[in-house]
Amino acid sequence: MKRSRREFLRDTGCGLTAAAIVSSLDRLSIVSAMVQQQPEVAADYKALVCVFFNGGSDCNNMVVSLDQFSSYSAARGDCSTPGATPNLGLAQSMLVPINPVSGGHFGLHPNFSPEVANPAQLAGLLGPWNQGKLAILCNYGSLLQPTTKAQYQSNAGGAFRPYQLFSHSDQINQQMSSIVKTTGQTGWGGRIADNTGSLNGVTVLPMNVSVSGTNLFETGVTSRQLAIGTGQLQTVLNLNWNGPASATPFTNGSSFRQLLGFDTGRALIKTSSDTMNQALSADQTLNQPDPMLTATFPGTSIGNQLKQVAKLIKIKDTLGMKRQIFFCQIGGFDTHTNETSADPTVPNGAGGQGNLLTQFSQAARAFYDEMGAQGNSNSVTLFTLSDFGRTFQASGSGAGSVGSDHAWGSHGFIMGGAVLGGTFYGAYPTLDVNGPDDDGGKRGRWIPTTSIDQYGATLAQWYGLPANLLTTVFPNLSKFATQSLGFLG
Amino acid sequence: MRTRAFALRKCFVSILCAGVAALCCGSASAAPSLFSVSSSSTRAVALESVSMRAEPFSLNGAANFFPADPRTRITVFCMNLDFLQGEGASSLTADAEDAAHNLYPLKVEYVGTVPSFDGVYMVVLRLNDSMTSNLGDVLLRLNLHGAASNRVRLAIGTIGGGPADDSAPNPAPATPPGAATPLTVAQYQAQYNNPAFASDSDLRRFLEQASWGGRGDDVDFSHLRAIGIPAYINEQFNMPPQFIDASTDPKFSLASNYPFSQSYPQFYPGSPAPPCDSSTTCFRDNYTLYPLQKQFMLNALTQPDQLRQRVSFAVHKFIVVGGQQLNGNQPFWFSPYLQTIDRNSFGNFRNMLFEVTLNPGMGEYLNMRGNSVVSQSNPTPNENYAREVMQLFSIGVDTLNQDGTPVLDAQGNRVPSYDQTAITNLARVFTGWDLDTNKSISLDGGVTQTSAANYQDPMVPNNNRNRYDIGQKTLLTDVNHGTPVVVPACANCTTGTSAQQLANTQAYAITSLGTAIDNLFNHPNTGPFLCIQMIHQLVTSNPSPAYVGRCAAAFANNGSGARGDMRAVITTILLDPEARGDVKTDPNYGHLREPVLLMTSLLRAFNATDTSKTDGVLVSNSPSNFSNTMGQNIFNPPTVFSYFSADFGLPGTNLVGPEFGNLDTSTSYARANFMNTLFLQNTGVPGIPTGTNRPVGTKIDYSALQALATTPQQLVDALNTRLMHGTMSAQMSASIFATVNAISSGDPGGRTRTAIYLVASSSQYQVER
Repeated sequence: MKRSRREFLRDTGCGLTAAAIVSSLDRLSIVSAMVQQQPEVAADYKALVCVFFNGGSDCNNMVVSLDQFSSYSAARGDCSTPGATPNLGLAQSMLVPINPVSGGHFGLHPNFSPEVANPAQLAGLLGPWNQGKLAILCNYGSLLQPTTKAQYQSNAGGAFRPYQLFSHSDQINQQMSSIVKTTGQTGWGGRIADNTGSLNGVTVLPMNVSVSGTNLFETGVTSRQLAIGTGQLQTVLNLNWNGPASATPFTNGSSFRQLLGFDTGRALIKTSSDTMNQALSADQTLNQPDPMLTATFPGTSIGNQLKQVAKLIKIKDTLGMKRQIFFCQIGGFDTHTNETSADPTVPNGAGGQGNLLTQFSQAARAFYDEMGAQGNSNSVTLFTLSDFGRTFQASGSGAGSVGSDHAWGSHGFIMGGAVLGGTFYGAYPTLDVNGPDDDGGKRGRWIPTTSIDQYGATLAQWYGLPANLLTTVFPNLSKFATQSLGFLG
Repeated sequence: MRTRAFALRKCFVSILCAGVAALCCGSASAAPSLFSVSSSSTRAVALESVSMRAEPFSLNGAANFFPADPRTRITVFCMNLDFLQGEGASSLTADAEDAAHNLYPLKVEYVGTVPSFDGVYMVVLRLNDSMTSNLGDVLLRLNLHGAASNRVRLAIGTIGGGPADDSAPNPAPATPPGAATPLTVAQYQAQYNNPAFASDSDLRRFLEQASWGGRGDDVDFSHLRAIGIPAYINEQFNMPPQFIDASTDPKFSLASNYPFSQSYPQFYPGSPAPPCDSSTTCFRDNYTLYPLQKQFMLNALTQPDQLRQRVSFAVHKFIVVGGQQLNGNQPFWFSPYLQTIDRNSFGNFRNMLFEVTLNPGMGEYLNMRGNSVVSQSNPTPNENYAREVMQLFSIGVDTLNQDGTPVLDAQGNRVPSYDQTAITNLARVFTGWDLDTNKSISLDGGVTQTSAANYQDPMVPNNNRNRYDIGQKTLLTDVNHGTPVVVPACANCTTGTSAQQLANTQAYAITSLGTAIDNLFNHPNTGPFLCIQMIHQLVTSNPSPAYVGRCAAAFANNGSGARGDMRAVITTILLDPEARGDVKTDPNYGHLREPVLLMTSLLRAFNATDTSKTDGVLVSNSPSNFSNTMGQNIFNPPTVFSYFSADFGLPGTNLVGPEFGNLDTSTSYARANFMNTLFLQNTGVPGIPTGTNRPVGTKIDYSALQALATTPQQLVDALNTRLMHGTMSAQMSASIFATVNAISSGDPGGRTRTAIYLVASSSQYQVER
């Protein structure tokens, strides 16, 4: 009884013009908003790809200052030495050395480029770094305004401490919303879409697509995200029907569809129905054969997510998209214990940061290579976010491998053809629990020196958000002198 | 506000009297009744609160009464506010809808009776900050206890436009109602002692809240009708769980819906794994959560202690251990956690917190197990459990009023309930604990003797004295302490023989832990925090502050002076006017059925059979298959923040909708596809996979409904009663009727299955109201 997509498309008689589909979807505010905006469609294509490191990735092991290595190893010990206490630090010999144009000597976590230590491994990010297409934004985070250690500690007038620092849920909210004084109701990716929808013209798909579930980042005031899984596009949204033909939900005007338009004054019912409506419309549009990809993506969760994004980008013209914001995530970074393994060149067991960085770096590298093969390098920028950084000092001790606790400033990775890379942006912290970047708790919670607003605004400007709308999307941006960090050309 | 309002209402009396005298009656109803100006107009009797000007209203008050908050206040008039004693503005919600169907919540700042007209109320509303100055007409509504008023028309900026009327004009009655005599909470609850008091739809909604769904054979409904809700709740409280076996281990009092679970070694002994039907040592049953997930479904579908199960699952969702993080899903690491919750669900929350804290699965999950100081001078213990036990399990991040609303400082900002220092101090208390001694186990009928890490017994103070932080710790203030509770430094941990030092240190750790748990339990936030969680999960996502307050009062004192009595909390939640009463018409009432609840509700509603293979609902040997596809992998929440965030915001609104945290494009299809499998596909036809290790699938029984299929309207009406307790709108009913009627009467099964599918897959059903 299950009907093929082809039959469905034929029977619904849409002719598949975008306008025809849109006209049947007037309940979706996003679509009507777009129609009303008299779009000036962009000539070029651009996409932002957010990869969220869920749980708070330990930035202190992601990028290690070799110039401060003695402080680092004194605080964190050496995970490669059996019985060392603590065993949170990486040995200098493990690190992948890099010399950013901005100065200094640093080492990347070995799992950012697993092939360096073990050529049998799929390649990671050293290649893009060496090509100048990977930039690192140091010690960014949620800030109400530029904040010194003394200001943080006095918190005069409540003006210096973002709401609920160090809490997972609240800091994820702030990374995604850039609203740091309270709990954000919309994400900055969503608000970018609210204000740049005209660049896409009239499309069936929304600007924002998640391949990892519902997220605040892509939720705007009016914009809603399409959330799909991984796997073949033709089956990624698949509504089954084994009932009588006359009752099929595939037909416009069927009872199934009528019900979606009833009781819309009830907020919860409306949200549920809107979600189904969006699925029904995207279903048709996404019914495309999978394009051939050049790069080989690892079979990990993040590999599959970025592969799905790469497929959608490859068929962007078929989908009629000019601007897209994608959301992916990789979880498990909440490494209170078992953060390191004795030999990071061999990806360690579940939960370890190295294992996750291997998954990320190999998937991101495949994505980078694929964008190159598609000729979309300069059009697509991938960037990372995470809840927060983690304490420089280890959490507790014990028989097993230790980890680190929740902290504040973290490092972001930005990669793509348009990235002015091979260098650091922002300021790398002083690795000293009594130093100027510590919040005063003496555990190495770094006070950020760049705000999430600046990070987001830099990406948004490249994407095409007009300058006069920057503070609409990033209400707190005016507190910071620099509105573009310069990592995108 | 109060003083000014009292002053104002004197001015209003003369105006109102004219209206009351001139106009006539509305029918008596439990829903609030907003007055319109005449029997031919829906325009509100409304005045700008300060200037007493009539509409149109500007966004900011002309008189600028509050320089810091000049937003206009509007006074409207109504009757039929069935308040309980002590209730007021915090029980009411109000909203206004504009021409574009945007819904603006309006803050209710004051409600009071009009002098000499004690049954007539004035309500002061603050206009919403998102409104624009020239909005035109909006339709205003008041909600109390889940019941919505009629809607009256207000002009913002200019008169005219706005949505079409959906209520008749409602002028004030010629004879105004007399003074109401509000009931106390106890009096309100006592009404339900008469089994005949509740309407059918009230009882059916009760079963949706207090069980995994009403049964299709109505056994539960009939019983409830016969004995009434309070007696039913008590019966549930006193119904033992199915596994009571104290003999397995004297330290481990098992009274739970999950059986004793044999300890297994960390790695599977031998390969390949034997088939599960012929061996008790197979991989599936010992190294995956399969047996527990299957037990969960069996319990939900067949066990009578439904209320315990609902409460236990609710607790599991905010005091989280995720099975997948526990040594490759080993059920014996996980089941003691489920058992701990089960045996405390109807007990005291203090004991729940204490036992969960020492549960070894929790210890493993949030790193209290083995937590150790680096040194006494630089302790830096692992902060994970300390942080999450406060944020997620007991007090939450914001300082709360007893009604669950956040306390605000002078700048209007929320006030943190603890800071990093408090976390550090609490983490220092949680040092020194580790697993009890290994369990000796016998495998393969006694052939293999080995030992396994002890994930059955509570954690114990470890024998390594150096792990403990023995210094002074400063905790939080609580209801018994006006200054922060201090755990003093250990006086005798470093005196005497080595053995004495260890014994003293272990005794100190036990005392300190008790003090810390008491401190969290006695924190003023704990009642409202727990109540919000439980109300969200059992009743509605957006309770009024008054509802939360009544629950928190029951938490603070069960009526006999005891704090933390779960039975009092549960009773108060389920016998509250916001949970009870007839059909709820407040547009924001209810909550989305999470995947697990959606599945169990439908399976119970259609008398799922073959329950020995309930996992087979999923037609695979992965019991979480469908639930997982819908975004809820049972017992495997992705993080300690559970299956979805407890404060997930409904996009585009200021409402909370936790269950929407995993409703997205994909999972909305997954829900419909579950309906398709259950109702349209899984009809017993051959072809469903079978095999010794392959359950064959649960089937539903809809024969009673099919008997109505010759008269499709009866079929739709029966579904309205059974699945939606009478909340189906006329247009929804008509739409489904038309579709069912178009199916040949010669295919009664097709008619029945289609009707069920359409109701079950609808948002109107999936949002439980």
